[in-house]
Amino acid sequence: MLYRTVGQFKTSYHADHALFPVKQDAWLLGLILLLAFVVLPATANEFVFKALLIPVLIYALASLGLNILTGYAGQLSLGTGAFMGVGAYACYKLITIFPEMNIVVAIALSGFFSAAVGMAFGLPSLRIKGFYLAIATLAAQFFLVWLFEKWAWLYNYNSSGAIQVPTLTMFGIPVVGPNATAIVQYYFVLVVVCLITWFSINITRGRIGRIWKAVRDMDIAAELVGINLMKAKLSAFAVSSYIVGIAGALFVFLWRGAAEPVLFDIQLSFRVLFIVIIGGMGSILGNYLGAILIVALPVIISAVPRAFGLPIGSAMAEHLNTMIVGATIIGFLILEPHGLARLWAIAREKLIIWPFPH
Amino acid sequence: MKKNLIRYALLPAALALATAFGGAAAFAEDSINVTNLSYRTGPFAATGTPIMNGQRDYMIMLNERDGGINGVKISYDECETGYNTEKGAECYEKTKASSIVTQPWSTGITLQVLPKSNVDKIPILAPGYGFSPMADGKVFQWAFNPPASYWDGASMILKNISEGNLESLKGKKVVLLHLDAPYGKEPIPLLQAYAEKYGFTFLPIPVGVKEMQNQSAQWLQIRRERPDFVLMWGWGAMNVGAVTEAAKTKFPMDKFIGIWWSSHDGDMKSVGEAGKGYRAISWSLPHSESPVMQDIKKYVLDAKKAEIGEGEFDWVFYQRGVLISMFTVEGIRAAQEHFDTKVVNAEQLRWGLENLKLDEARLKEIGMDGMIGPFSTSCSNHAGHAGAWMLQWDGAKFVKVSDLLQADQDMIAPLVETEAKKYADANAPWPINEECKM
Repeated sequence: MLYRTVGQFKTSYHADHALFPVKQDAWLLGLILLLAFVVLPATANEFVFKALLIPVLIYALASLGLNILTGYAGQLSLGTGAFMGVGAYACYKLITIFPEMNIVVAIALSGFFSAAVGMAFGLPSLRIKGFYLAIATLAAQFFLVWLFEKWAWLYNYNSSGAIQVPTLTMFGIPVVGPNATAIVQYYFVLVVVCLITWFSINITRGRIGRIWKAVRDMDIAAELVGINLMKAKLSAFAVSSYIVGIAGALFVFLWRGAAEPVLFDIQLSFRVLFIVIIGGMGSILGNYLGAILIVALPVIISAVPRAFGLPIGSAMAEHLNTMIVGATIIGFLILEPHGLARLWAIAREKLIIWPFPH
Repeated sequence: MKKNLIRYALLPAALALATAFGGAAAFAEDSINVTNLSYRTGPFAATGTPIMNGQRDYMIMLNERDGGINGVKISYDECETGYNTEKGAECYEKTKASSIVTQPWSTGITLQVLPKSNVDKIPILAPGYGFSPMADGKVFQWAFNPPASYWDGASMILKNISEGNLESLKGKKVVLLHLDAPYGKEPIPLLQAYAEKYGFTFLPIPVGVKEMQNQSAQWLQIRRERPDFVLMWGWGAMNVGAVTEAAKTKFPMDKFIGIWWSSHDGDMKSVGEAGKGYRAISWSLPHSESPVMQDIKKYVLDAKKAEIGEGEFDWVFYQRGVLISMFTVEGIRAAQEHFDTKVVNAEQLRWGLENLKLDEARLKEIGMDGMIGPFSTSCSNHAGHAGAWMLQWDGAKFVKVSDLLQADQDMIAPLVETEAKKYADANAPWPINEECKM
């Protein structure tokens, strides 16, 4: 009823290849965008911005980057956290060396640094696959975090060894740093995330995305039909690391405000990888669903006892939280091993034929 | 047991209820909200729990004994961070509207909330930790690290190991075994300055967060270097690891000295006799017979208002937690008198913390005589630079082995000024308190 596709005819190839062959999908997206751009900013308070909306968007962006590499091109990576760190440190150095630089330019440029580093550590992918490649990227993870700690030039020789975000303005409004308001930062992150998502949807649907998928499904076959494996794999590493680097710059500059090297440790890589796995490999939507589950759910659960006045101490609530989130993740994976995006796809299929399943 | 558990669970719940039903109700009852960013879970839970218990129990005791501070109840609450910076930032956002003070409890979280303090106008209380230059109250208007900074601690340790004559360190070798994190790196600039001035060799040896429990490489290096003294800036599992390794490599324990966060009874208990002779500097002294501790026993523990672990009552960390809550309470008291109000807000508390006067007489009055060195803060001095004692592990507990030591402010002050200025410049525009003429 709600998802009736009857009567939506395609009369050209162009229409058949449209982003939304079903009208309802476009309406749904419009609704979500309306929610994100108008309704949420109008109703959310600072806590919701800072603890829910901004982190979900940034984590979704990081996982989008990893998903391009792992989900579309089939190259498993455990170095996401470190590549985010490269983006963050590059952005910090750019801002402190060129204080006049616009923050948008700095963030866009910092992605190139992580793309370069990502490509360098992606070189082993030409020879090794699967778990072996994961170990090679693990080396990147450990090496880069070690570098963030030891190379004092990266953090301008601060005695604390951490990087601090100064206040930066755009059109006279503080966007980054302690003086920026949460709503401004939210819109900034939202616009960046929307642009990159739009770019990612198109690149994964097009020629390059198809090359990646061919490599993922069977690289020997891909090579036989004339795909240059080196170009395909390295381009996946470059695009993925670029997005991950931008996510890292946003992570520190638009959200955390300060970062120590240990922040980019393996836990961060795992967290992003979990978002990819739970959201759904090879899906754009999945990153958002996964980020909501992994990042937002614990925050929401921790607010429950307080809201209802349940007699639970904050430490006990934290223990319960870990258990509930863990059980939810296992539950969802049993329900649908291919992730939340597939769950939505099945629900959508069912909705289309509902109420007359055959 | 079951009954106690229920009580233990009910107490925070009652506090949570009070906060859940909004500020309006709280104000009607005349209460002051103090939320602590606690860490009773996560990798550092063992060290965090006694401190958090001490802080909580002092507040409960005041509510039970005196009905709060000058008749205003303290609504004390916790927000669990698990020592995780991400959760810490989340807790800060959650509590900043209601709590009149933020206690970040990790150098990482402190670094994140420090720049926001000027904007949100909530005092940050980081007793004995955080960023040492925070002592400069003109630059860090909203941050407080009483009673002493890490640099004070480092200076006092050097004074004690040289037996008051720093010249005697000439030609010696001092190793700093430190956690490779902002916290562990804190004393390095000061120790370097000392090494240059007094001609001793200074060698920092970092211990990565992942190698805390296995420090064989570091201790091999120490054995090769044959230092005259090893100082330690350790935390959590690193303390146990270091003392165990030191015992294993037969390093003389009396040449091994820790900072105050390396003086946890729980850590040392697991080492026991092997750690005998190990010393740590501490600005707090456990004194279980003092009036305040006896009142806590009477009103809180015996009355079953809260639960703590067995033997924890006598621990350095538990009693240090009590002292930490006292800083907040004395700040509130000072603000109440100055502003002639009952329910103080964050801005008034800032004034109170800036005007702490904890002399001998006052400490005696609140029953904490001899538990902490007297100190006072001012608009330019947010640390107080109180003295500290050297504690020694005798195989079963920490005992005092020195008189009250004082840090060498001639060495520290110039460094505080330059580092504070560096921070302010890097974070420009950074407001500086021009009204403070001290």
